[in-house]
Amino acid sequence: MSESMVSRRQRYWDLRAAGNFIGGGTGSGLIVTASLAAVLGAPFRAALILGLAAIAAGLSLVWLEIGKPWRAFNVFFHPRTSWMTREGIVAGALIPLGVVAAAVSSPALALITAVLAVGFLYCQARILRAARGIPAWRQKEIVALILAAGLAEGCALALIVGPRDGVWLGLALAAGLAREAAWRFYRTGLAREAGAAKILAVFAAPSARRLDGLRWAGLGLIAAALVMRLSAVAVPGLMISTAFVIVGCMLVVLGGWGMKMLLITRAAFTRAISLPVVPIRGSKKSHAH
Amino acid sequence: MMSMSAKKDIREVPSYCYNCVAGPDLMTVRVENGIATRIEPCHAAAAIHPGLGRVCVKAFGLVQKTYNPHRVLTPMKRSNPRKGRDEDPGFVAISWDEALDTIAARLNDIRARGLLNEAGLPRVAATFGHGGTPQSYMGTFPAFLSAWGTIDYSFGSGQGVKCVHSEHLYGEFWHRGFTVAADTVHTRYIISCGANVEVSGGVCAVRRHADARIRGVKRVQVEPHLSPTAACSAEWVPIKPKTDAAFLFALIHEILFVHPRRRLDLAFLRDRTASPYLVGEDGYYLRDPLSLKPLFWDEISAQAVPFDTEGARPALEGHFTVTDAMTRGPDEERHPRHNAAARTAFTAMADTMAPYTPEWAAGVCDIPAATIRRIAAEFLDHACIGETIDIDGETLPFRPVAVTLGKTVNNGWGAYECCWARTMLATLVGALEVPGGTLGTTVRLNRPHENRLKSVQPGEDGFMVAHFNATGRKDWQATPTGRNAHRTLVPIVGNSPWAQALGPTHLAWMFSREAPKEWPQPELPEIWFAFRTNPAISFWDTAEISRAMARMPFIVAFAYTFDETNHMADILLPDATDLESTQVIRIGGTKFVEQHWAHHGVALRAPAVAPRGEARDFTWISTELAYRTGLIERYNAALNRGAAGAPLKGEGYDFSLPTKHAHNVDTIWNAVCQAATAELSHGADIHDLDWFRAHGHYVVPFKREDWYLYPTMARLGLRFELPYQERLLRVGEELGRRLHEQNIHWWDSQLDEYLAVPQWHDVPGRWVRAIRSQGGDPADYPLWGITTKVMAYTTGNNAGIPLMHEVSANLRGHGAVIINAATAQRLGIADHDWVEVRSPTGATEGRASLVQGCRPDTVVIPGQFAHWKTPFAKDLVFPSLNRVVPLSLELTDATGSGADVVRVAVRKIAPPARAGVA
Amino acid sequence: MTRYVMVADLRRCVGCQTCTAACKEGNATPPGVQWRRVLDLEAGTYPEVSRVFLPIGCQHCANPPCMEVCPSTATKQRADGIITIDDDLCIGCSYCIMACPYDARSLIEERRYAFGETPTEPEAARLDKNAVGVASKCTFCAGRIDAGTARGLVAGQDPEATPLCVNACISGALSFGDIEDESGPIATLLAENRWFRLHEREGTEPGFYYLWDKGTL
Repeated sequence: MSESMVSRRQRYWDLRAAGNFIGGGTGSGLIVTASLAAVLGAPFRAALILGLAAIAAGLSLVWLEIGKPWRAFNVFFHPRTSWMTREGIVAGALIPLGVVAAAVSSPALALITAVLAVGFLYCQARILRAARGIPAWRQKEIVALILAAGLAEGCALALIVGPRDGVWLGLALAAGLAREAAWRFYRTGLAREAGAAKILAVFAAPSARRLDGLRWAGLGLIAAALVMRLSAVAVPGLMISTAFVIVGCMLVVLGGWGMKMLLITRAAFTRAISLPVVPIRGSKKSHAH
Repeated sequence: MMSMSAKKDIREVPSYCYNCVAGPDLMTVRVENGIATRIEPCHAAAAIHPGLGRVCVKAFGLVQKTYNPHRVLTPMKRSNPRKGRDEDPGFVAISWDEALDTIAARLNDIRARGLLNEAGLPRVAATFGHGGTPQSYMGTFPAFLSAWGTIDYSFGSGQGVKCVHSEHLYGEFWHRGFTVAADTVHTRYIISCGANVEVSGGVCAVRRHADARIRGVKRVQVEPHLSPTAACSAEWVPIKPKTDAAFLFALIHEILFVHPRRRLDLAFLRDRTASPYLVGEDGYYLRDPLSLKPLFWDEISAQAVPFDTEGARPALEGHFTVTDAMTRGPDEERHPRHNAAARTAFTAMADTMAPYTPEWAAGVCDIPAATIRRIAAEFLDHACIGETIDIDGETLPFRPVAVTLGKTVNNGWGAYECCWARTMLATLVGALEVPGGTLGTTVRLNRPHENRLKSVQPGEDGFMVAHFNATGRKDWQATPTGRNAHRTLVPIVGNSPWAQALGPTHLAWMFSREAPKEWPQPELPEIWFAFRTNPAISFWDTAEISRAMARMPFIVAFAYTFDETNHMADILLPDATDLESTQVIRIGGTKFVEQHWAHHGVALRAPAVAPRGEARDFTWISTELAYRTGLIERYNAALNRGAAGAPLKGEGYDFSLPTKHAHNVDTIWNAVCQAATAELSHGADIHDLDWFRAHGHYVVPFKREDWYLYPTMARLGLRFELPYQERLLRVGEELGRRLHEQNIHWWDSQLDEYLAVPQWHDVPGRWVRAIRSQGGDPADYPLWGITTKVMAYTTGNNAGIPLMHEVSANLRGHGAVIINAATAQRLGIADHDWVEVRSPTGATEGRASLVQGCRPDTVVIPGQFAHWKTPFAKDLVFPSLNRVVPLSLELTDATGSGADVVRVAVRKIAPPARAGVA
Repeated sequence: MTRYVMVADLRRCVGCQTCTAACKEGNATPPGVQWRRVLDLEAGTYPEVSRVFLPIGCQHCANPPCMEVCPSTATKQRADGIITIDDDLCIGCSYCIMACPYDARSLIEERRYAFGETPTEPEAARLDKNAVGVASKCTFCAGRIDAGTARGLVAGQDPEATPLCVNACISGALSFGDIEDESGPIATLLAENRWFRLHEREGTEPGFYYLWDKGTL
C-alpha cells in the first residue's frame, strides 16, 4: 500500500521534547565523565553541576511542553510499565543526590549519581524504544544510540569545561566513534524495516549530511589534538591542540544535538498502514454461476 | 468530551435532509437547551427507508450551517450601484418591510406593464440550484411563482449543461427515466461508465451497492480515474475521456456479430421494441398507406403488415421488399413507396454497428480489445435470458445486468450515442425496466412527477407519448420565448415547467452579451431571483458568468452568507435554513437516483430551533410577496391546487384554504399535512401538523412492481422506441429546415446529432479542435482536464462549512489537482507542489495530488471551488475546473448540453501568495 | 465476559467520511481532532491499481501500548475491553500518542473552534474545559453504551447503545458488539468472513477487525 498516504510526521513532540533528550543525554554523559574524573581524582564538580543542569533544563523543557503542567506530579503514577514514570523517578533521585555530591565534593556520591545518570539515560532510550507508533524510535538499535550519544556529548562537553588530558581526549574520541557506530547500526537496522524509506530520506537529506560532517570533523579535530598530545609537540602546538579540542568538542556536541533534533522531530513519522490484502469488492468471476 | 450538566432540556426533532438530489433522507435534530447540537439518523425509519434511516455526511454539516457566524441575518440592500467582482456592494441592513416593499414595487410596476417585454421574453427570471432540491427548502415560493405567471428559468447555474443532461432528455423519452440506475437490489452485473454512484448516489444507493457487493455483484467501472466507485468495483477500466460511446458500440458489435442470437431476448425485441419495424431506403419507416401505421414483416403471411396486426409473427431482422407502403418524412411529407426495399429497424441498427469492432474501439478508447470482448461476454453470461422473478406476487422477467452512465459521459457531445448505446444494450437482452436491469427513476419533463408510470400514455406508432417542442412550419417557435431558446432549438426537451431549466442554459448567459445576429439582442430580466445557487462559481468560464451577472439590473438573492453570486445582488433576503423552517415534501416511491422504496409518503421539516437573527421562513416570505403584489388570491388558489406539494382538496377530503386573505405558515402546512395524508391513505389517516412534529413522516406501502416500467408497457401493449430513432430523424430534419429558413446556420453541427441510429464521430476530437477556435495550439494543451465529486460537497452548496472541509481532507485530491504520478514525474511535479492548470480561456492553481489511479493523459480537479467571496471557502485557495472550461457553442450538443471536460496544460509554479491559509 | 469490538467491512466502505463527521459532531471534538476517520489508501501501479478505504481509530487493544507507556495511569482498560482516558489524570505528555501504532490519539492543545476565535452556540454549549491539554481518542462512545445497556439495550444492535459512527455508517461497513457473545452478530460476521487486524505482529490484540472476503481463513 502507499505509505505516504497515511504516515505523517508526528506533531506533538517538538524541539522542547528534543531538548529533553539533548539535555538528558548530554547531562548524563557529563555526569558519567565527572564521576570518572572523581574516581581518578581529577576535578569533577563543574562537569557534575553542568550535567545536572542539563538534565534539569531538559526536564523543564518537557514541563513546558505537556498539556497540563500543573499536574506534572502525575508522571510518577505508573512505574510498573511506563519508562516515562521511571525516568521521572530516577531524575527525582539523581538530581538531589548530584547536588549533594557536588556540594560536598564526594567522589563516592558522584559515582552513585553517575549510576543513576546511566539509569536515567537508559530510561530515555527506552521511552523512545517503547514509542511503537514512531518507527524511527521503536527501532531496537535506538537504545545503544541514545546511550552512546549521551556519553559522546557528555565527554565532549566535559572536555570543554574541564581537564583536557590525553586520557579524556581518548575517552571522548572513543565515545564519539561509538556513537557513530551506533548511528550506523541504527540506520542499518532501520533499512531492514519495511517502509523506512521516508525516515532514511530525512537522514540522507543535505542538512542531515552536514550534521554528519560536523560530527566527523569534530572527531577529526579531537583525534588530531590527541595525536599532537601524544607526540608531545611544543607549546604553540598545545595551544593549537586546545583550540582543536574545543572546536572539535563543540562540533561533536552540536552535531549530536542536531541529530537528536532530527530524530525527535523530522524523522518521527507515524507508522504507515500496510494492508495484508485488498478487499474483494463484489465478484471477480468472469461468469455467473 | 461532552459536558454533562445536571439538567438539560433535550429534544429530538424529526426532519429531513434534501441537500442533494439523491435524497431526501430522514434525520433527527438533537436540540439541547434550545440549541441544535447534532444530527442523528432517523432510526425510527430504519424499516421503511432503503438506507435504514441514515443520512450522508452532508447532513452532519447542518449544525455548523445553522450557527455559521458569517450568515446574512438581516435583509440588506446594495448601496453601491456599480456591480462587479471588484466593486464593494456596500450592503446595508434594512427592515423586512423595506426589502419586501422594494421588491413588490418593482414587481407591481412590471405587472402593470406586462409580464413579457417587447421581445416576448419574461421580465422576471429565477434560478434555483441543483436538481430541484431548492424546491424542498423554498416553502410556498412555487405558489408565488405560479401566481405570478410567466417566468424565465433559463439562466442556469449548471443545470441543463453540467447535469446528466442527455440522460434526462433521452432517458425520459425512451423509458421515463429522468435519471437512470441499475436495479441494484437484483442485479448481478453492472457496466458503469463513469456513474460515480458511491459518491453521488446518496444513502440508498450506497447501501444497496454495498449489499450487492456482499451478494457478489460484479461492477465494471469504466472511467479515466479511480473514483471511489471504481475503487469499490470489481474492475476498473481506465478509458480515454469522451470515448465511452465507442466502447459501448463495440460491446453491441460483439454481442451482435460474435455471439449467437439466442443470447438475446428475442421476444422482448420483437414485441416490446420497434426492432421489427421496416425501414425504407430514405431512412423512414415504411407505413401502411391507409392507417400510416409502421409495418413489420409477418413471417406467417410473408408480407408486410401494420405493427399491431393480431396473430402476426414479426421478423426481427432481414431485408424485404414491400409492395405497397408510404413513408412519412419531415413536415408531414408523404411518399408512396412501391416494391420498396426494406430492412428491419434491428437490421438497420446492426448494419450501423457493424464497423465498430473491439479492435477498432481499442484504438479509440485505449481499452484492450480482449477486455471489451470479455465484458461483452460477461454481460451476456449474466443476463439470465428466459428467467423470471416473482415481485409482489407478479411474475416479471429477470435480467440482472445493467448499464449506467455518469456525468461527462451522458452530457455534451457523445452523450446521445452513449445514452442510446446504454439503453440499447439493455434492450438487446430485455433488461430494460425489468427486475435486475436498467431502470428509470422518476420523471420531470413528463407528469405526474410523483408516479412515472402514470406518465406512460399511448402515443403514435405503438410508442408511448412524447412531448416534443414543435418543429413544423406553422407551430415552430421561431422567436425564443426564453433567453436560452429551449423551445426553438431543443425539440426533445419539450415545454413542461422543468423544460426551460433543462435547455441550453449557458446560452442565456452567452446571448446576454451577444445574441446571434438573426435574433434581437435579448434584454436582461428586470428582476432575477436566485436561491440556493451560485452560478458565479458553479458554471463554466466563471469570470464571464460573473460579468454577465453584474449586468443584471435588479437581483433578489435569498442569502445564506455573502457569496460570489449575491455579491451582484440588489436585495439580500435571509431565509430560515434547514433546521429553522417548515416544509412538507414527498418521500419514497421511486425518486431520482436510486431512491427505490417499498413505501411512499410525506415528511415534515419542522423548525428544530428558532431562525437566527431576522431570517424568516420562506413560506412567510412568499406569502408576504403575494400579499404585497396583490396576488394573494391566486397564491392561495395555487396552494389549493397543490403548489405546496399536495392538492388541498381531493376525493373525500377538502382542506382548501380560503383564498381571500393571507394565512400564516403553520396554517398552510397544517392543511398540506392533512391533505397529503388523506390522499395517501384514501382518507383513512388524516394527520395534522402537530402529529408530524411528533412523528416526522407518514408512509404507505409502494408496490415494488412499480419500480419497473415494463409491466405498464406490456399492459398498454406499447413498445420502447428503440433501436431506431425515426422520430428524432424527422424532428432533426424539420428543425434544420426551420433554422435554415431563418438563415440560421450556427446550429448546423448540432443538427448532425439527429441520426436514426447513432454513429461514431471523433467526439474527443471536438475538444481538441475547439482549442484552435479559442486561439490556441492543440499541441500546447496535451492533457484532459475533468472533474469529479466528493460526497461531502456534492450539490450541497456547503463550501463554507468547515466540517465538510475537514472530513473531505481525509480523501486524496481534496482541493487539489489529481495527476498520474508518472505524468507528474515527467513534468517535474512532486506531490503537494503547486501547479497551474491552463486552457486557452483560463487558468486555475492548486496543489498536485499524485496518484497511480488516474490515466496518464488526464488530470482531475474535484468539486467546484475557487470561491472569492464565500466566507471560509474563499480562504481555501482551491482550484476549480470551472475556471478553465469555456462557454462554447461549438462544444454544445443538440440537446443544448456541454460537459465538464477540457484540454489543458499543467506546469509547476511557485506557491501563490495566499497559499498559506489552506 | 464482554469484550466490545468494532468490525469494518472493507468491501462496503466507500470512504464517504459520514462516520468521521458523525463522530466529530456527536463527540464535539475540536477542529482537526478525529477519533474516527477513514483513510484513503492506494496500492499498485497504473493501470493495476487498488484503492482501499480504511476506517480507523482507537483499536481498543487487549494489550494497549498506550496504557503501558502512560506515566499518569490516565489511560485505563475497562473490563469490557474499552480503553479510556481519565481527563482528570492525564498530564498531556503525548507519550501515548507516540506509542499508539494506529495513530489513533490526539492531544487537544488548545480550544479551537470551527469558525475561528469565537465558539458557535453549540460549541460553547458543549465546551468541556477538562478536555484541553489532554490526550483524546475514540471511546467506542462508552458513555452511550453504558447508558444504553443500563436500560437493557444491546450494544451494537440498539442505536441508543451503539457508537455514533456505527449508527451513521451509510454503507453498513461498521458493526459493533460483544465478540464474546458466541451467537451474536459480531461473532457470526467474523466466523463467516475472512478478516485481518492491523499490525497483528505487534501483539496488541486489537479490538478492531477488518473484513475483506467471504469465507474463513
